[in-house]
Amino acid sequence: MPKILLVEDNEMNRDMLTRRLEKRGYTISIAVDGGEGVAKAKAELPDLILMDMSLPVLDGWDATRQVKADDTTKGIPVIALTAHAMEGDRQKALGAGCDDFDTKPVELNRLLLKIEELLKKFPPKPAA
Amino acid sequence: MKSLSFRWQLTLFILMICGVTLSLAMVGLYLYERRQGDSEIQSRLEKTQLLMVGNLAPLLEQNPEATDLQLGALGVDSQIAAAAVFVPGKSRALAQYVRFGAHEVIPPPPANLAKSTFDPRRLIAWTPITSGTNRTLGLLYLKAEESESDKQRTTDLLKLALIIFSSAAFLAISVAFRLGGRFTAPITELAQVASSVQRTHDYGKRVESAASGEIGELIESFNAMLETIETKTSELEQARETAEGAKDQLEEANRTLEARVEDRTKLLAKAVKDAEEASKAKSSFLAKMSHELRTPLNAIIGYSEILREDAVDDGDARTADDLDKVLNAARHLLGLINDVLDISKIEAGKMDLYLETFDVAKTVGEVIATASPLISKKGNTLALDCPADTGAMHADVTKLRQMLLNLLSNASKFTEKGTITLKVHRLPDGESIEFAVVDTGIGMTPEQLTRLFQAFSQADASTTSKYGGTGLGLAISKQFAQMMLGDITVTSTSGVGSTFTIRLPVTVETKKPKVVNTSTQRLTRSPFPVEKRPKILVIDDDKDIRVLITEILDQSGYEVFTAGSGQQGLDLAAQMVPNLIILDLMMPGMDGWTVLTKLQHKPSLADVPVIILSGASGLEMAMSLGAAAVLFKPVDAYQLTAEIATQLAPLPPSYVLLVEDDADSRTLITRLLDTEGWNSRSAINGNAALRILKQASPAMIILDLKMAGMNGFELLEVIVKNPAWSKIPVIIVTSMDLTADMRDYLTPRTVGILYKGRFSREDLLGAIRPVVQNATLSST
Ligand SMILES: Nc1ncnc2c1ncn2[C@@H]1O[C@H](COP(=O)(O)OP(=O)(O)O)[C@@H](O)[C@H]1O
Ligand SMILES: [Mg+2]
Repeated sequence: MPKILLVEDNEMNRDMLTRRLEKRGYTISIAVDGGEGVAKAKAELPDLILMDMSLPVLDGWDATRQVKADDTTKGIPVIALTAHAMEGDRQKALGAGCDDFDTKPVELNRLLLKIEELLKKFPPKPAA
Repeated sequence: MKSLSFRWQLTLFILMICGVTLSLAMVGLYLYERRQGDSEIQSRLEKTQLLMVGNLAPLLEQNPEATDLQLGALGVDSQIAAAAVFVPGKSRALAQYVRFGAHEVIPPPPANLAKSTFDPRRLIAWTPITSGTNRTLGLLYLKAEESESDKQRTTDLLKLALIIFSSAAFLAISVAFRLGGRFTAPITELAQVASSVQRTHDYGKRVESAASGEIGELIESFNAMLETIETKTSELEQARETAEGAKDQLEEANRTLEARVEDRTKLLAKAVKDAEEASKAKSSFLAKMSHELRTPLNAIIGYSEILREDAVDDGDARTADDLDKVLNAARHLLGLINDVLDISKIEAGKMDLYLETFDVAKTVGEVIATASPLISKKGNTLALDCPADTGAMHADVTKLRQMLLNLLSNASKFTEKGTITLKVHRLPDGESIEFAVVDTGIGMTPEQLTRLFQAFSQADASTTSKYGGTGLGLAISKQFAQMMLGDITVTSTSGVGSTFTIRLPVTVETKKPKVVNTSTQRLTRSPFPVEKRPKILVIDDDKDIRVLITEILDQSGYEVFTAGSGQQGLDLAAQMVPNLIILDLMMPGMDGWTVLTKLQHKPSLADVPVIILSGASGLEMAMSLGAAAVLFKPVDAYQLTAEIATQLAPLPPSYVLLVEDDADSRTLITRLLDTEGWNSRSAINGNAALRILKQASPAMIILDLKMAGMNGFELLEVIVKNPAWSKIPVIIVTSMDLTADMRDYLTPRTVGILYKGRFSREDLLGAIRPVVQNATLSST
């Protein structure tokens, strides 16, 4: 099953998304700030990263940049999650190297579509 | 002589005349006496001669050498001082006689003894003594002498002269003193009054003495002169007092005015600060609130969805249904929060555009995909008319999506079992693209249409309860469209349906042009010759504007200075004292309002006209702070140069001052005055009018009442209180409904009141013409 790294500082959001994605069969790994997200991405090499943009310590944009700058992790697709009404965020996120973008509150069906699309584009390597 | 009083001068004068006359008389008398005496002596001498010659001739005939001649016995009288007898051939006197006590020397005899001579000066006579046969026997020498009585007479004469002179002098002095009373008194008084007037400047004094003749005339004219001087002086004094009073009043008026302007400025500055703070607070509150509200809302929506999924899985339809309601309510709330956030961002000017190139058909497809559940909800069908080759456009795709979604959701909301059509096509000009959403729903009445794009407005109050919504969607969409230099328009028929059309440029430009109408030939040139280029200071934080305006004004004949901030502008203005200032309002650091206020408080700069260049807001305040004119950005170069030329042009000798804040009315009335051949000058409010009034009084004033800044009533109050202006006829032109009180106030202070929209061109001219003609006549 594809493994998704969810980088999100808000506990409830983290809990909800984890439960709903797990219910649909994804393996979820969790990081609570940007730094931990980058570290876990390197250590666990997930198939996809869901990255909240407003994160403590290291924000989502910088974390994404680091992920995309590292040879071991740059192939991992990243979906940026931001709050609504921040139009600039979309371009900023794409500029930082995100592969897609969605706004919170998450509309699950739409997010699932984006996840599936990206996983098709970046097929997960068969587990070693 | 000048230091002597007139009385003494007169005395002296009389004395002098007495002296001279008396001396002349004395000399005459003396000469007469002398002649009288002389001839007496001479005749006596002759008598003695005759007597002695008669006595001597026989004696000498008998004895020519008779040495014993006793001359003293031969008829010499007491008046003869000396006598001698000479005979021919002998130089020594034959006989001589010298009266006792007299010291006489007998001179030698002349050569010719036969000649008789007489020296009247020395009283000496020589007489020949002849015999009966005419033979010269000898010569007789006689010297006469003034007698004692003669001497006495001369002394008497001198004594007499002295007595006459002293009595004449006494008479002269007493006459002079007597006359002093009659002649000198008035003159002396005249002199005294004149010198006292000179010393004390008391022109109330008069010469009281009366006199006849020239002195009388002199006194009269001197008094008349004093009279004239006194009235002139008192008139002058009065005039000075009036002027002083006027000055006081003016100063008082100015002080009140200044105080009022200052108060107002402070109030306004505070109001603006408050408003700015409030606005900032509101924005940050909303941003924070929307975040704070969204976080729990996310949780509500998220967990409700999880519960709903579980309920569906468990086959618990009722719980799933209830959770749907919770979800709907929560989503509605979320939409509302998002809309409010959008509107507040737009109002705060913080909504930015993110332009990118995207494929129109693809984006429209995505929007339809999102909207289709909504559309089908009320049994509507969707018709899409979007050619696949519509191509790409450059715009803010997120905003376009939001606009389309709102229009589609509105159409679905207000249409039941109808058709909703989305038509997309490029306009023939190739530069714009249109998105039209057509529905067959309830439509709107014309009345409802008018309020459509206002924030928080819905067609009617029942809409919210029936259809939900906040009434923000269209307002936001309209703003978005306009930000991209496009628009949203609507046509609708109640009960038939509506069509909303978004029109956008295919390529949205980020930058609007900052200066328009720059073509050189239509710029108004400086009213001054090239060698007298007026100095203009441009204060704007936008470098592009500074560069562009500099270029335009340089071409129009001005010397341009620029400052990039308010503080820099103030410093430069104080240094160079420009002829005019162009001022931006919104600047970081010190803003335009503050700069304007500070300029007004610097005496050297208060009269420099300031033209405000601004976006839409804060104009009223700029006006009330004393701006001479207000122009909008983007800067219209024609307008700007025309306004500068008007502000700087010298005032014509006779002109009409038009005080009116409405630009259209200003143009209209100015043209009207122009066609009549009257010069005019406009001011946007009382503050600007005062600046013009201070330069030169107009022939008349046409005054609007309602104006931002100093209004018509306030200006009128200043004008009537100022003696320099109180006589200027004022005509009111207003759109105000005047109360009886207002009319009572205005009637005595003005020459007429005209109501805007109710008076014709002829009414206005008819009211102005007599006044202006009067003024023109009296000024020439
Ligand atoms: N297609 C339409 N047909 C009829 N009325 C409409 C339509 N679109 C908008 N309106 C009217 O305009 C109002 C404002 O719409 P909008 O600004 O989108 O706010 P909201 O949708 O939140 O009510 C609506 O409440 C409705 O009264
Ligand atoms: Mg709406």
